[in-house]
Amino acid sequence: MTQVILGQFLNGIIVGTLYGIIALGVTLTFGITGIVNFALGQFMMIGAYAAWHLTDITHLPYPIAVALAVVIAGLAGLLSDRALFQFTRNNLVNGLLVSIGLISVIESGAMLLYTATPKNMDFVLSGAWVFGDITLPRMKVATFGVLVVVIALTWAALANTWLGRATRAYAQNPEAAALMGVNTQALQVGVSVYSCALAGLGGAVYASLYSLEPSMGALFILKGVEAAILAGVGNLAGALVGGVILGVTESIGSLFLPTAFRDAYGLIFLVAILLFRPNGLFGGQK
Amino acid sequence: MNPVWLLAPLYLIPAFSQNEVVLTILIFTFILSILAIGFNIVFGYAGQLTMFHGAAFGMGAYGTYLILNKLGISFWLALLPTFAGILLLSLLVGWICFKFQLREFYFAVVTLAFSELARLVVLNWNSVTNGTLGLLVLDKPTLWLPWVGVMKIEGTRAWYLLALSSLLVVAAFSRVLVCSWIGRNFAAIRLNEELAQTLGINTFRYKLLAFTISNVLAGFAGALFGFYTNYIEPSQLSITQSLDAIAMVLLGGVGSILGPVVGALLLTGLPHVIEFSAELRAAAYGAILILVILVMPRGVVGLFSRWRHVS
Amino acid sequence: MHYIARIAATAAFCVASVASLRAQEVVKLGQIEAQTGPNTIYGWMGSQGVPIAVDEINKAGGFKVGDKTYKLELISLDTRGDPKEATIELKRLLEQDKARFVFGPFLSNVFVTVLPYAKQFDGKFLLLGGATRMHDFVGQPGHDFVIRTWNWDAGPSGFGERMVDYLIKTASPKKVAMLFQNDQGGKVLGEIYEPLFKAKGIETVTEYFEPGTKDFTPVLAKLAAFKADYLFPGYSDAPLYDIVRQATEGNFIRKFFLVRGSLGPGMKNKDGIEDYIVYVPKYFEDAEKISPKVKGFVEAYKAFYKREFPYDQAPLCSSSCYDHVYMLVAAMQRAGTVQDVGKIRTALLSFTYSGVWTIKFDQRGEQIFNFDIVHLKKGGELQITRVEP
Repeated sequence: MTQVILGQFLNGIIVGTLYGIIALGVTLTFGITGIVNFALGQFMMIGAYAAWHLTDITHLPYPIAVALAVVIAGLAGLLSDRALFQFTRNNLVNGLLVSIGLISVIESGAMLLYTATPKNMDFVLSGAWVFGDITLPRMKVATFGVLVVVIALTWAALANTWLGRATRAYAQNPEAAALMGVNTQALQVGVSVYSCALAGLGGAVYASLYSLEPSMGALFILKGVEAAILAGVGNLAGALVGGVILGVTESIGSLFLPTAFRDAYGLIFLVAILLFRPNGLFGGQK
Repeated sequence: MNPVWLLAPLYLIPAFSQNEVVLTILIFTFILSILAIGFNIVFGYAGQLTMFHGAAFGMGAYGTYLILNKLGISFWLALLPTFAGILLLSLLVGWICFKFQLREFYFAVVTLAFSELARLVVLNWNSVTNGTLGLLVLDKPTLWLPWVGVMKIEGTRAWYLLALSSLLVVAAFSRVLVCSWIGRNFAAIRLNEELAQTLGINTFRYKLLAFTISNVLAGFAGALFGFYTNYIEPSQLSITQSLDAIAMVLLGGVGSILGPVVGALLLTGLPHVIEFSAELRAAAYGAILILVILVMPRGVVGLFSRWRHVS
Repeated sequence: MHYIARIAATAAFCVASVASLRAQEVVKLGQIEAQTGPNTIYGWMGSQGVPIAVDEINKAGGFKVGDKTYKLELISLDTRGDPKEATIELKRLLEQDKARFVFGPFLSNVFVTVLPYAKQFDGKFLLLGGATRMHDFVGQPGHDFVIRTWNWDAGPSGFGERMVDYLIKTASPKKVAMLFQNDQGGKVLGEIYEPLFKAKGIETVTEYFEPGTKDFTPVLAKLAAFKADYLFPGYSDAPLYDIVRQATEGNFIRKFFLVRGSLGPGMKNKDGIEDYIVYVPKYFEDAEKISPKVKGFVEAYKAFYKREFPYDQAPLCSSSCYDHVYMLVAAMQRAGTVQDVGKIRTALLSFTYSGVWTIKFDQRGEQIFNFDIVHLKKGGELQITRVEP
């Protein structure tokens, strides 16, 4: 029995990392541009379909497909930022609604291009590592590794590079940052695009594990937002931890309680945390 | 001029048009307008973005039907305990949110969480709600009219009159509320909550009031919807229902009495006028929403009032 | 000038009489299916197959009933799986377009919602759809308009019974774990199959998952504890790909039994599975080599849409699709009318149609058709059993 629980615990950590990268995108966008971009789930979907198309249709090696998918998602992010989100800076409600409209547009695009029939990528890394009763599929572990490395690099960049410090400075005090010579406009666009690229990466690795449908974005953005809030929106370090906590709660919860309520466990946990620590577990901003 | 009077001429439409499709679209519009007006009260006037009204909508439908069947009473009598239930639930959720000082975004998220929880409960409580299979509603609301006696509401014409009359009552209520001192307090909270508090307004109580009213109205709309479409299912409590209402209010015009009605009409009727393929229609819906936010932040009604002022 | 006028008049008279002889009348055919949206799996193929048949019939000059020739006009509407949408669309089809024949819906929650409205038109039109819930109303008084174009799982001609018998014959399982989607279709499957297995002495356990679930490892771990011989997952392919992959990769269970869903998930994971038994209305890859009609349909699809034939979706054309247009036309010809709905219904239920499928209806109005059982073993070896109920 402990083996089963341990297995699900590990599974929850891996799934949670996927939530975590979306949460990081949500938190970055909120901290720097002042809105919650619900359409990040769609950028994840763009990354996923791009990776699938490049691997299965044009037969590029998977790692290259992932890199290209990230670029494509980033470009899509740039386009939507220049066309739409630059007009909704710091306006939470407008940003929310514009992103909802964008979701419809992008999802229809995917439907037209790929139809609703689910797509399954050919296996990149099949098989699993077996430790006693615990089985860990290789691709899942690889995904975990990639995402953790990217998130860690993001933190490192935010802590050590000039750009990273400028970003953190802006998040704390926009006027002061501007006075210190930070090009705030460019920064906002940059962060917006980077969040979409992160989501695209999440989608690209997701494609190697699960089936793809145009509607896949909805579930992940909800989880991403939950995880970001759990940790404290604006708290960049906490995003990953929030995602992992959410993933583990769901996996272990589903083991003991009815699976049909899987989504509820995360929600209840979230509400409970928010009531007692309204700024999230690790405190955020606003 | 009291804008509610603008609704009166709509009574004449069935006399002139035999077109069932138009009348059906209008019935759906009227019912969904009630939901939208409710949301407008808590968001457009009191400034609180909530995501709970979708759940209240669905619970209104389920509650009314289940009570009607268990107790064998009429539609209108069954509405009362349903409203009471929604009221209590709103007080609970609202109390939790406002007591813990959840603002703006967090308030929206927590109401969304509660809304999803409500949906999951309804979805899985098979013995009572029949879960995903939903409930077939074959009962009809009855109305007592002085010269006719008790009559069953069935058929498009009767439903049209009932829906329009319900909308009129709700719109009138909304207008009275907004023009009263309660409405002024809502506006104060919306404009600057801290200032309102220093002015001595008990913001907690007023926010709770707005939240509760919005959900009760949503429940009323839900009951009408369920009995009209003859079918109730858990997806009527979904986030999409809440989002649709938000879109209607924003499209029509936030903070105006009839804005939600215009928005409801456009969002219900437009898909039938635009003869695109379904994917293109969804894309068009999204594009329209984006356009409205970026170009017409005060909605369609806002466009007209600006135009009037200019001339 | 006098004779020019006479020639002109004669010419005009000739043209007019020829035109009236070949006067084209139109029979309207409506369709309400989910062409887009989350449940589009169950509406897409129907919306693909019907236009091909309508186009073929019209290109051949239409069809003759009595001494008049008719063409078909298809009004195909997308319900997006939304019952409210479907109600408005059905109203339009029946009241504005005055269609007497409507194909669809395949989705049960759509059917249940349009039912009270449709009932008012009993006797004036036929609703030919595959929805599971239609089973409760087919053949009931006041519901002559309900024609169900899909096999029923249980009962003497039930394909579910045949599938379970096949499973027992080839594998003699003692325990079966069932994993269904927590919605209309999934719940009905639980209701049908739990008693079915029990009656044959097989122990079962049932779990339901939320639509949209991607990671099944927790629930698979739970089911693994039951130590079942076979996993019976299902309902549409979308979750099946994930379920089969995660079940085999995670070492939870390697034997599968399906009555909804396609061969695809099995083939994709063919090195990980040990056994995969699936109900396929028709295994097209094989059938097109054997049956000229099937081959013709595949060619017609490719020519009409100018894209690849959807082998994994095509089996769902067994409901309210290509064959049914021809069958309806044949029924009209047998009944000698395009307007008398009662006569056409009687005719429809009276004969067996041989097209891509061999289709007949039982006396209540529920479809019976031949199907394949595809048995896939580890490594990809296929064994196909054809069943004629």
